[in-house]
Amino acid sequence: MLPLTEDKAKAWLKRQRFPVPEGAAAATPEQAAEVAARLGGGAVVKALVPTGRRGKAGAVRLVETPEAAAQAARNMIGQEVQGFRVDKVYIEAKVAIAEEYYLSIALESFPPKLLISRQGGVDIEETLAKDPTAVTVVDLDPTEGLKPWEAIAAWQAVGIAGAALPKLANLTSRLYAAFQEADAVMLEINPLCIDIEGNLSLVGAMVGIDDDALSRQARWLASEDEPDWMFAGRNLTPRERAVFEANQKFRGGMVRYSELDGDIGLIFNGGGAGLLQHDLILAMGGRPANHSDMNGVNPDKIKTLTRAVLDNPNVRGLLVSANHLQMTRADKKVELIVEVLAERGIDGAIFPVVFRMFGPKEAEARAAAARIPNVHYPPGGTPMEDVCRLIVDLTKKAAGVAR
Amino acid sequence: MSILLDKNTRVVVQGITGTQARVDTIVCRDYGTNIVAGVTPGRGGQDVEGIPVYDTVREAVEKHDAEASLIYVPAMAAKDAVLEAIAAGIRLIVAPAELVPLNDAAKVVDAVRKAGIVMVGFNTVGIITPGQARMGGMGGLEPDEIYAPGRIGICSRSGGMVAEVAWALKKDGLGVSTAVAMGGDQITGRRMVDYVRLFEEDPATEAIALFGEPGTPNEREVALHLKKSGMKKPIVALIAGTFQENHPKGVSFGHAAAMIADDTDRPTAKKKMLAEAGVRIAKDIKDIPVQIQQALGRG
Repeated sequence: MLPLTEDKAKAWLKRQRFPVPEGAAAATPEQAAEVAARLGGGAVVKALVPTGRRGKAGAVRLVETPEAAAQAARNMIGQEVQGFRVDKVYIEAKVAIAEEYYLSIALESFPPKLLISRQGGVDIEETLAKDPTAVTVVDLDPTEGLKPWEAIAAWQAVGIAGAALPKLANLTSRLYAAFQEADAVMLEINPLCIDIEGNLSLVGAMVGIDDDALSRQARWLASEDEPDWMFAGRNLTPRERAVFEANQKFRGGMVRYSELDGDIGLIFNGGGAGLLQHDLILAMGGRPANHSDMNGVNPDKIKTLTRAVLDNPNVRGLLVSANHLQMTRADKKVELIVEVLAERGIDGAIFPVVFRMFGPKEAEARAAAARIPNVHYPPGGTPMEDVCRLIVDLTKKAAGVAR
Repeated sequence: MSILLDKNTRVVVQGITGTQARVDTIVCRDYGTNIVAGVTPGRGGQDVEGIPVYDTVREAVEKHDAEASLIYVPAMAAKDAVLEAIAAGIRLIVAPAELVPLNDAAKVVDAVRKAGIVMVGFNTVGIITPGQARMGGMGGLEPDEIYAPGRIGICSRSGGMVAEVAWALKKDGLGVSTAVAMGGDQITGRRMVDYVRLFEEDPATEAIALFGEPGTPNEREVALHLKKSGMKKPIVALIAGTFQENHPKGVSFGHAAAMIADDTDRPTAKKKMLAEAGVRIAKDIKDIPVQIQQALGRG
């Protein structure tokens, strides 16, 4: 999921004609003061990081003057909030709030779910714990969308009546349509406000876009500040960033790479096989330096992934392992990985390398791997358990020697 | 006997003129699959290795009584291809496409379930009934090396792991009734519990092997089903991905997702729920045949 920062999320909502407060991002205290002045002086200054609970983290400030906005920006920029470095702040007009509600849409499993509450501005977990009757969950129909009358029933179920009801319901229907159109997988509006004049305002907004739809939703990436926080609620390492960029840049196939703090480099092919072998390695006392996955055969992507694994300063050994490849050729992938290993002058006696790539063109794959001195490529049919044990033992030895 | 697919099932291949589709079609036909037609819009009247090609699925259904469709169409076109198959009255769809946008998948799955049919996928290597027929890449070029005919049903969320499980069974002298790679995505045409029910009803299946992963309610639904209706046949499950519990769950922001997908979608919780429902939990792949033999009283 690509989480949008608040400026992008709100710009999108605004383009879709949803009512959002006026606001803009600022990278310096001076810019923050300018934006606040444009908004009339008083404003809300928020750290621009893709995470919730910023209020609790002290990353939201109410200010009365442009000078105060500049000071708030100065205090926030460069700090870390919930694991994210603050590069920018978002300055927004204050809303004179009369009522606060909560709305979220999540597409995680089937069917998608709408979750609404008559209590906004607080964490939904808190509301659920204190007053479960304030919350309702509704199954969404991806084909029919959410009809306005269904949305009315949903808001009635959490106790809404009167003039607010059709407004909230109409908004909710439209939000699900916009959610689908944008290939969102997650949308949270908190608080969803009605101001003192009776108008709706989407004061808090977070949106996550489906990674698999980015090619047809390119506008989310077409901005000067590229996402730098794709994994694990922290900034990407340079190696993770290189892999992410390779996926964006080259067509075909997909590679994934997430860095961990162990010493066994892992190049997996096949999600399930990777999950299982990672578990096995941990159970055997090994410590993975990363998790990864690749599918398809894009040379740039596979070489970028291999380089990322090797460039990790903690890595002391490498397992390249797949489930039986069935229709996929083993040789192309192995050749690409070997090319990078050879380029680095890797010798299996010093930096252990184990391949388990069984399936079509296995003989050719074995011939390619043989370019690496002292490489291990156990016979076809060797169970995953055995290659995991092998890389754990070899890496322990290699790491011991290195120390 | 088998579930869903046997040597008589009449199969149409959508996108049959594509490179991968041609290869897989021939490999499937050589294995025994009854491929009756292909579909590629604009190529109607041509043929692929003697298989007639039509412009629409409806024509393939009208002329050849096609009942199952193997769909080789790129991710961004997959939604419409599946909807076309459903509209033409197909009862079994195998859809290998990877990286299909989730909102497309949701629409497709909605249509599949409203029509009461079965879709294997997205993100699947397919389905195989060893010795009879296969739809998709499952088994590769030498399927007999991995899949022996027999009486164990396999359902896996990972396509690759179906092969590893079947391989381990074969080494232990066990064979497979039908193996299904249900699809690796968060949202799949059918749930794991749907396949478990089919295996329970299949007289040729005497035990079931499941491969599960983190996320999705699939394994929990199996556990709930078994608690409610009881164990009809021995089931052994291998659940991978426990390591993920020690790391943050992807990029987490907001609370809705975290709240709806509560702790029950973690591997540890899944193993516990399944074990409580009577499922045997395998510790690794080699353990699967061992546990099955024990459950069948042959260990």
